[in-house]
Amino acid sequence: MTVYESEIPGVGRKFEVEVDDDGSRIVVLLHHDGRREVFRRAGPDADSEKLFDLDAQSARRLGSILTGTTFETVDVAELEVPLGEAIIEWWEVGDGSDLAGSTLGAADLRSATGVSVIAIQRGEETIANPEPDARIETGDVLVTLGTREEQAAFEDLV
Amino acid sequence: MASTLLLEAGVVLTVLAVAGALAWRMGQSVIPAYLLAGIAVGPHAPVIGDVSLTLVERSEFIDLFAELGVVFLLFFIGVEFSVAKLLAEPRRILTAGGVDLVVNVALGVILGLAFGLSLVEALFLAGIVYPSSSAVITKSLIDLGWIADPESEAILGVLVAEDVVMAVYLAVLAAVAIGGPLGSAVLPLAESLGFLLGFALLATVGSGLVERAFDTRSNELFLLRVVGFTALLAGFALTTGVSEAVAAFFVGAAISESDLKPRLESVIAPARDLFAAVFFFAIGLGADPGAVTSVVPLLAAGVGFAIVGKLATGYVGGRAYDLNPRRSLRMALAMVTRGEFSLVVAALAAATAGVSPAIPAFAVGYVLVMSILGTLLMGASDRIESVLGVAEPAT
Repeated sequence: MTVYESEIPGVGRKFEVEVDDDGSRIVVLLHHDGRREVFRRAGPDADSEKLFDLDAQSARRLGSILTGTTFETVDVAELEVPLGEAIIEWWEVGDGSDLAGSTLGAADLRSATGVSVIAIQRGEETIANPEPDARIETGDVLVTLGTREEQAAFEDLV
Repeated sequence: MASTLLLEAGVVLTVLAVAGALAWRMGQSVIPAYLLAGIAVGPHAPVIGDVSLTLVERSEFIDLFAELGVVFLLFFIGVEFSVAKLLAEPRRILTAGGVDLVVNVALGVILGLAFGLSLVEALFLAGIVYPSSSAVITKSLIDLGWIADPESEAILGVLVAEDVVMAVYLAVLAAVAIGGPLGSAVLPLAESLGFLLGFALLATVGSGLVERAFDTRSNELFLLRVVGFTALLAGFALTTGVSEAVAAFFVGAAISESDLKPRLESVIAPARDLFAAVFFFAIGLGADPGAVTSVVPLLAAGVGFAIVGKLATGYVGGRAYDLNPRRSLRMALAMVTRGEFSLVVAALAAATAGVSPAIPAFAVGYVLVMSILGTLLMGASDRIESVLGVAEPAT
């Protein structure tokens, strides 16, 4: 991927990004006042087609989505990943949850609800494929695999 | 009169605000609108019945702002001047810029001589006919989205080349203007070239110095320093017989590579816009519609030369940049647009003794026609392309 940068006198800077092997480019115009214009040019001889306009703040947000950083701050309760019948969900162990303090083995979640705990996230640390003696603490995020019904049953426990 | 000065400033700026808003609505550049505003309310305003529309006489306030307008127009041309851009593709820019220069200046001189003007007057005329308008063209490039297409590189490249030519041209012409006819101008020319060399040194070797002088955290102090220092140097230049516009160009060029650039655009550009608006207005004020109509034959010929010249050299320039025929045509249409530089030369012509008043009058009519025509041509490029059979094949 090649990026071409040039200056537009009195306007700002222009970046052309080669996105495909077919010669199409994304053209980004950074105005001095912070406005960004984004164009797509389908080929060397095609006219650029304006895609959208962004102010500086929205542009930063879009940029962070494109770099992937935003996904670390996404609300974990709303993330779902399709996986056949089964789905993966993230559950935070709240204050007063019966699960807090017990080990995975003692809680016996698989036979109680049907879901498997495939990981425990504790702050920065992720315990992947946890052992039965792993202890669940308040504030942990349990990553569970199961059908929608099983997840619903699990939600009642958490 | 002092008691009415504030009122007069208010009238001028309000008229400009209204004219600018109308131009904006019509998708036109503001430059012809400001010119027309000056004509409409100035001393030559039309008389309807027994009521004259004249609201404004030429005053010191207008002269001062107009002078600052020239200084900061050129200051920003200096700031936006990029040596890197000029040297990026020397072969292409030399070909495209060279053809543009030789053909269009020659056309201007021939036009002047054919209409019985003196050589100096013909040179002024050439300076009005030749330069395309960076301000108007850049606005159209953005409005039409061409800015993201390859022709914008070629257009902006040639415009940068024109900026250099015009800086040298203004320097020489200002020396001639002060020294009189070409023959007796040798001494002031040498003197002013000496000063110019000094300014050029400031722009290159002294750029760090200028940058440090301007650099301050406070936007308020930044504004005062830049406007103050630039006006001081330009004013000093003028008292020594050097073009104040060229001095301002070099001060701008001195900081063109610095980190201050985005701040200049946000803090100083509004000041430039204010002064420049009054400058265009003042040119309109000085224009007697009667005088403009008296130069109609010259104007008609000039417009014809200007269109043919720029269409041809713009197309050749586009081909020099390896653009296809369609994009070269677009470049040709864009380059037809004239504007601020022609008016800067007109102001210099008006201030020079012995130069026929027909020349500034010509410039006003010329810029009115060419700035509007250029914008219209660019907007109609789709239709022109299909008429000429170079339109993009449907995909």
